[in-house]
Amino acid sequence: MLMVIVSGLAIGALFAATALSYNVMYSTSKVLSVTTGHIAMLGGVFGAYAISALGQPWWLGLIAAILVGGLFGWLTDLIAIRRVLARSDEHLWLLSTLAMATMVQQAVGLWWGTEPKPFPRLIPQDFSAGIGDQKFWLPIALAGLMAIGLEFFYRRTMYGKLFLAMSEDAFAARARGVSTDRIRVASYVIAGALGGLAGFAAGQLTFAYFALGLTLTLNGFIALAVGGLGSNLGALIGGLTLGLLNTFASYLFGGEYQQTIAVGLLMVVLLVKPEGLLGAQQVRPV
Amino acid sequence: MFRPSKLLSGMLAGLALACASGLASAQNTIKVGWLSSLTGPLSSAAIAENQGVQLAVDEINAAGGIGGRKIELLTRDTSGDPTKAVNLAQQLAFSEKVHFIIGPVNSGEGLATTPIIARAGVPNLIIGALDELIDPVKYPRAFRVINTNKQWILTGNDYALKVLKKSKVAVIGDTTGYGTSSAKTAQELLEAAGVKPVYTVLLDPNKTDLSDELGKARAAGADVVMPWSAATGLLGRLLNARGDMGWNVPVVGHPAVMAPQIRKLLNKPEYWDQTYASGYASTTYGADGKLPAATQMLVDKVRPKLAAGGEIDILFWWVAMGYDTVKIIEHAVKGANGTDPAAIQKVLENTGEFRGVYATYNWSATQRNGFPDSNMAVNVANSFKDGTFKLAPR
Repeated sequence: MLMVIVSGLAIGALFAATALSYNVMYSTSKVLSVTTGHIAMLGGVFGAYAISALGQPWWLGLIAAILVGGLFGWLTDLIAIRRVLARSDEHLWLLSTLAMATMVQQAVGLWWGTEPKPFPRLIPQDFSAGIGDQKFWLPIALAGLMAIGLEFFYRRTMYGKLFLAMSEDAFAARARGVSTDRIRVASYVIAGALGGLAGFAAGQLTFAYFALGLTLTLNGFIALAVGGLGSNLGALIGGLTLGLLNTFASYLFGGEYQQTIAVGLLMVVLLVKPEGLLGAQQVRPV
Repeated sequence: MFRPSKLLSGMLAGLALACASGLASAQNTIKVGWLSSLTGPLSSAAIAENQGVQLAVDEINAAGGIGGRKIELLTRDTSGDPTKAVNLAQQLAFSEKVHFIIGPVNSGEGLATTPIIARAGVPNLIIGALDELIDPVKYPRAFRVINTNKQWILTGNDYALKVLKKSKVAVIGDTTGYGTSSAKTAQELLEAAGVKPVYTVLLDPNKTDLSDELGKARAAGADVVMPWSAATGLLGRLLNARGDMGWNVPVVGHPAVMAPQIRKLLNKPEYWDQTYASGYASTTYGADGKLPAATQMLVDKVRPKLAAGGEIDILFWWVAMGYDTVKIIEHAVKGANGTDPAAIQKVLENTGEFRGVYATYNWSATQRNGFPDSNMAVNVANSFKDGTFKLAPR
């Protein structure tokens, strides 16, 4: 039973890390990019490529995952967000980010292959470590650090305060001289780097697999919606809850109920508390 | 005197003659449509099958064709997408008016294309293992070249129960359509053999850790684990969980459990020990390391192309099956003395003991599954050599 809890927390931490990446991008653009899960996929694939195929040390693999994630975040803004937001208030970003996510998945599938490939061991440790295995604790530790780091960034740094200002009211921020375009680009690069880092930390759990992105995009979104859009603590709680529900559903009832229960959780939260557990209630000005 | 008009008319006449002879030769070819998923998921199977198909076509054409008619191969890449497969099947059957269609590669695509090809009346060589792809009444011109899914499962069950003498079976499937139906079939066949599985579970193919499920199987008293899933990630995790928990239990299951990709996913190479899978007699080598003569001959033929003279690193049964599909077409055209679909159907319906490389095929008026049980075998998973496997100890 302890193994069910730990493996649930580990996959939940990856969902939470994806939800945190969503939050960073959402804070400056009000966009929920479909590419969010694919950033983590890229982190895992490029981390494995750098270490296993190129024979680089793990820390260079980590840097590669962060750089590729950051670059993809920047490209997401450049190709799928900037022009769409400039020309339309409609939710066309849903289509543009979906197109970009599909393209990157296909490209990775063609280059990397469609079968999952192994992710190297990062810390020397025997495989019989059970619940103490690094594949569980690396993503859990990273999700906690990401949530704390982002809170620190938002509350204690000037750039973080600019993010918050944009999140509250982008027009007012721009009126006060904030370069909102530059802040949005920075948010996509940071979200990309964090997503790449999350994919790297969870690589041993997920393998380096081209089709991982869509699963993370969906589950990260559910975690975010359950926890509350914009809340980092909510993302963490939502992700961990979802991960635990997934593994317990599979353990108790079988894998065929896993997704039903995850999406069922989303429905229940949306019906009972549409703003999520810790989300701010939306007030419509009249 | 030089007369340009005469020269021009001469050239035109020559051109017309060349066109006419080209047209006649195109009309005279045997058009074979090949629905292959050369890109996308399962492309590795299709690429290997394509090598076999292409080799057989080249050999037959180099020998002058079939009854003087060359084979014109029309390869179409479905990318493993059923929608694309349907469009391409229609194009091959109705626009290109092919005489045969091989494929598609994946059973999911086959479910969508088989009724269309049947409606067009084109003989269709089925290379998907799903039982529903075959129906002598609804699809009278669809003949299966590969084994059925049931044959894989029966072979695995037989080995676990009769050779390993195990009776407490844990059946593991995945939540895909294929995994779910295979696990159900496995359970039914075990029960028909008088064994009720002690543990049955369906798992998400992307589930990240299987320790808890294997822990439950162990607690239920399982003495053999039988996975019926084609998801290599799930199978790799299953073997890792078994190894990490130090559970000394044999695994007998789907051929994917011995796929070369699995080796890379294992925490330790020895986690592949005591693992067996359903395979084929034609691509099985014995204790002396020797393959059947026909298989060895084909291995030697394709080695320069597939492995540049080195070790072949893809599953060889795909190549052998692709090769056989074209040889079956040759047999049918020769027997029918042409490409009339009704005559082709009759020849294939009356085909018994047709010796290919992959198998010896038998079809009848009521039986469209041509792969005999006697051509099935159980292999040792970690014995991959030149695309073939070692016979499991009996």
